[in-house]
Amino acid sequence: MEYVSPEGLRLDGRRPMEMRQIRAEIGTIMKADGSAVFEMGNTKVVAAVYGPREVQNRGQQISDKALVRCEYSMANFSTGDRMRKPKGDRRSTEISLVIRQTMEESILTHLMPRSQIDIYVQVLQADGGTRSACINAATLALADAGIPMRDLVTSCSAGYLNSTPLLDLNYVEDSAGGPDVTLGILPKLDKVTLLQMDSKLPIDIFENVMQLATEGCKAVANYIRELLLENTKELEYRRGV
Amino acid sequence: MREQKGPSLVTPGEVLGRASDVKAGRGAYVAPHNSTVYSSLTGFLRTISPPADSPDQRPIVEVTGHKAQGAVPVPGSVVIGQVTKVMARMASADIMCVGPKSVREKFTGIIWQQDVRATEIEKVDMHLSFHPGDIVRALVLSLGDARAYYLSTAKNELGVVSAESTAGATMVPISWTEMHCPVTGQIEQRKVAKVGS
Repeated sequence: MEYVSPEGLRLDGRRPMEMRQIRAEIGTIMKADGSAVFEMGNTKVVAAVYGPREVQNRGQQISDKALVRCEYSMANFSTGDRMRKPKGDRRSTEISLVIRQTMEESILTHLMPRSQIDIYVQVLQADGGTRSACINAATLALADAGIPMRDLVTSCSAGYLNSTPLLDLNYVEDSAGGPDVTLGILPKLDKVTLLQMDSKLPIDIFENVMQLATEGCKAVANYIRELLLENTKELEYRRGV
Repeated sequence: MREQKGPSLVTPGEVLGRASDVKAGRGAYVAPHNSTVYSSLTGFLRTISPPADSPDQRPIVEVTGHKAQGAVPVPGSVVIGQVTKVMARMASADIMCVGPKSVREKFTGIIWQQDVRATEIEKVDMHLSFHPGDIVRALVLSLGDARAYYLSTAKNELGVVSAESTAGATMVPISWTEMHCPVTGQIEQRKVAKVGS
């Protein structure tokens, strides 16, 4: 199948190095300590953060740092054919683990010993790149909750189809079966916290693809920073009134 | 550069300065690999000059977020709690306020028999000191065991501040051990706190 037309356009009309439109909103869930909605094109994800709070299961308590838990689930209506079991399958468990490890890397857990931080992410609409969208949403929610972090973790995916590196794959491109690199970075510290790839790539092409994904992550980071500053200004303004 | 301007906004991961020039306060941290101070919260950046007598004369950078963290009892703080259970040797209470702030989650405290009052501590009868539902002011002695904070009411200004009689009316304190029910005229025993001056 042709994923990049001779004119250099992808199936959804984007250029190979173009991202989908991103949009985010902070503080969408009142009850949570921090929450955010993150959209990348048609992918829409909501994240809620509770904590730091007392550990629910005393056996899991860690005496010198905080326990980070993450639960990823997909809404029944998030995909084309209605899902039977939206959480607890192998894929959800794996993504929960990935998100937890990525976020734990960034959170200054040693500042909150014997406490627990819960991150809940739910996919409302899935169109490829849910993993990245979930990480971005979780970062925003953690920042909203005021949990100390080393840096904002941001994530973006990139692939390689029709001998062209493509940024931010959508569902159709994702299910083409080509290489799909999901990258998570700490943009200001220039560190990689997550790197996953399906199938194989020659090393020189891989570097191109990874470079592209890094650019994507940085673009997301800029957007998230802008949004956080905007939100803080708005809150401050409201407090002043 | 940044310091001269008014309060500026920062996000996690932003560089606030070199560790040799500034000291990291709340909401900031020092990365050990390049000794640079970074922000760890979203909020306003403030630079505080160090106390004149401290040997470390670096200014302190602090980031204050907009989310207020819930109050947490620490040893030495005065808390307001509601008595939930009274037993022969101890009473347990749910902590509602730490100082002037209300708590966001549930904390439980235990008042042991020997911590109820300062004198004649072995003669204390818990049932003549507290009743379930009483509002008490207490001092946090220690973090206690895994379940509860250890509290003390062994001071004049500590003890029951508000209580209901068996008739359901709010009682009036008449001495440091007794309260009077305005409806039935009955007198009930409590470890009463001295409120006001």
